[in-house]
Amino acid sequence: MNLASFPNVSIDFATSHLVFPMLVSILLGLLLVAILATRWRTIWGAFTTGPYWPAGIDQLRFFGTIALTVLYFLAMPQIGDLFPNEGYGFLIASIPFLFLMSLLYLHRRSRRQIVIAAINAAIAPTVVWYLLSTVFNLTLP
Amino acid sequence: MDFLSMITPLFLVLIFSGTVIGIIFGAVPGMTATMAVAVCLPLTYSLGLENGLALLLGLYVGGISGGLVPAILLNIPGTPSSIATTFDGYPMTQRGEGESALKIAIFASLFGGLFSLIVLYLFAPALADFAIQFSYVEKFLIIFLALTVMAALSSSMLIGIFSGVLGILVSLIGAYDVSVGGNGEYRLMFGFMEPYLSGGFSLLPVLIGVFGLSSILIEAAGGVPENEGAAKIALGHGKKFRLSIFRGEWSNLFRSASIGTFIGLLPGVGGSAASIMSYSQAKTFSKTPKEFGKGHPTGIVASEASNNGLTGGALVPLLSLGIPGDSTTAILIGAFTLQGIQVGPLFISGNLEIWNSMIVAMLFANIFMFAIMYFAIRHIAKIVTVPKYILLPIILMMCVVGSYTINYGIMFDVWTLLIFGLFGYLAYLIGLEIAPFIIGFILGPSAEIYFVKSLESFGTVSIFFTKSWIAGVLWLLIAASIGLSIWMSMAAGRHNDET
Repeated sequence: MNLASFPNVSIDFATSHLVFPMLVSILLGLLLVAILATRWRTIWGAFTTGPYWPAGIDQLRFFGTIALTVLYFLAMPQIGDLFPNEGYGFLIASIPFLFLMSLLYLHRRSRRQIVIAAINAAIAPTVVWYLLSTVFNLTLP
Repeated sequence: MDFLSMITPLFLVLIFSGTVIGIIFGAVPGMTATMAVAVCLPLTYSLGLENGLALLLGLYVGGISGGLVPAILLNIPGTPSSIATTFDGYPMTQRGEGESALKIAIFASLFGGLFSLIVLYLFAPALADFAIQFSYVEKFLIIFLALTVMAALSSSMLIGIFSGVLGILVSLIGAYDVSVGGNGEYRLMFGFMEPYLSGGFSLLPVLIGVFGLSSILIEAAGGVPENEGAAKIALGHGKKFRLSIFRGEWSNLFRSASIGTFIGLLPGVGGSAASIMSYSQAKTFSKTPKEFGKGHPTGIVASEASNNGLTGGALVPLLSLGIPGDSTTAILIGAFTLQGIQVGPLFISGNLEIWNSMIVAMLFANIFMFAIMYFAIRHIAKIVTVPKYILLPIILMMCVVGSYTINYGIMFDVWTLLIFGLFGYLAYLIGLEIAPFIIGFILGPSAEIYFVKSLESFGTVSIFFTKSWIAGVLWLLIAASIGLSIWMSMAAGRHNDET
């Protein structure tokens, strides 16, 4: 963008993909400076006094959720490749994922609650798999 | 009466199912109407647009309404839009009048929903007819206005604008789309990302990530607390519900539904603002303001008429201008995109059948919502007792299904879900505003095209001020929204100094 005779401007088509991102980035930078200028006391206070994240959160359940989710995402296509176009990757990976997530979120792991979690882990993915892949004809991993 | 032919048994079953599922999502604290629509969106792929929208609109109306159940019974708003319902709903429950409070809220919700539906039916086509005259210049200014209004009504204007502009920047990642006149070159990414991000991040995995997965992460970080109070829910056998409670409430009903519908018209402003604003207005106009907060039915009527008033209002800018009025209607854009239909000024005139089917679906969704909640309220109340260790894993699984199926099976979309789920959690942690971010993300590519093509055509920046009288009016509205925001922050500052 040529700004030499502002407010008249000319845009070169070859570099036109950069015009808007550049203006938006500049605006974002200015806004960030404005936020820092008006709230530096609060931000500085938060940095200096703490407590720092992840203190104060339930680390087991938070990081456990992320770890199980990543494993679930990695496992699905791997299993799915063994049975192409059947959606079994989703079904086989979802059952242990749901069970482990339920165990992670349980506060008192009584026998009854574990059985309920296991039944839920078996039924919910099966119903979803059947509905989506058979009734709705959707692609699943 | 062509539209009567669309009322098939499947159409009605989908609205009914959507309303029931929506009520369940709304009634479980931590789950929202937005999440319900996002999670169920993949089910609409094979249904066609009319039937798909029937399901989604049922979810929307049910989701907004379901929030009143835990708000009244547990003092926990099921959705943010039920926040002011807790103020008087829970004290009524404590007095043993839980069932009466719920029924007052259900009636008010029905009124708000039907009022906003009438506004939608009358106002959206008129606004769309007017918007047809807009060129790229006015369209860009409309988006600019939407962002400033949204930012002005955020808790902090600076943070609101920052979040919206960040959403725009993220939406620009990928190639400058050739199909809309771009040069097809990549920007804001590294070369190795080209196979995954040539079309940028897909809208729905982003939406499902920031509204679905991030809510689960927030719950997990908080230790996934179960509702201890849920076990001892009692609707009570105190004063019975009578319609005569609404005697003298008509002005409150109309005022609150109007406020809700108006707030819905404003992009990115959520139901919590509508609920609180209507509540405070009801208190101001009441002859017995001291009764508020102690179980006064007027407070419940105000909150619930306004949050259901939001539903029709939020669809007006979506269907007439292509700008979503709230986060849930932002997801509805995904349903239209899936079926290859663009929402904007030409939508209603070009798709009369779909437009009529949406109105009919909204009408039935409100009627079903009322019937289900009024007659089955004792069963609905038990929904809040469903344990989270069962619900949250199922929702996460549905988030994955929705993200994966959106582009017919791309695993990168599932990773997008995780990336934006983590982003949503981070935004919650540092106080970024998600609604402006999402509206910016949705409108960013259009804003770029309108802005760059206007400059390419006219060769001067002054065209944004001189193109037409509409541009002048839009600039006045932009200035007014910024002025309002500055005035509001100064007033808040003075209030803080005094207290």
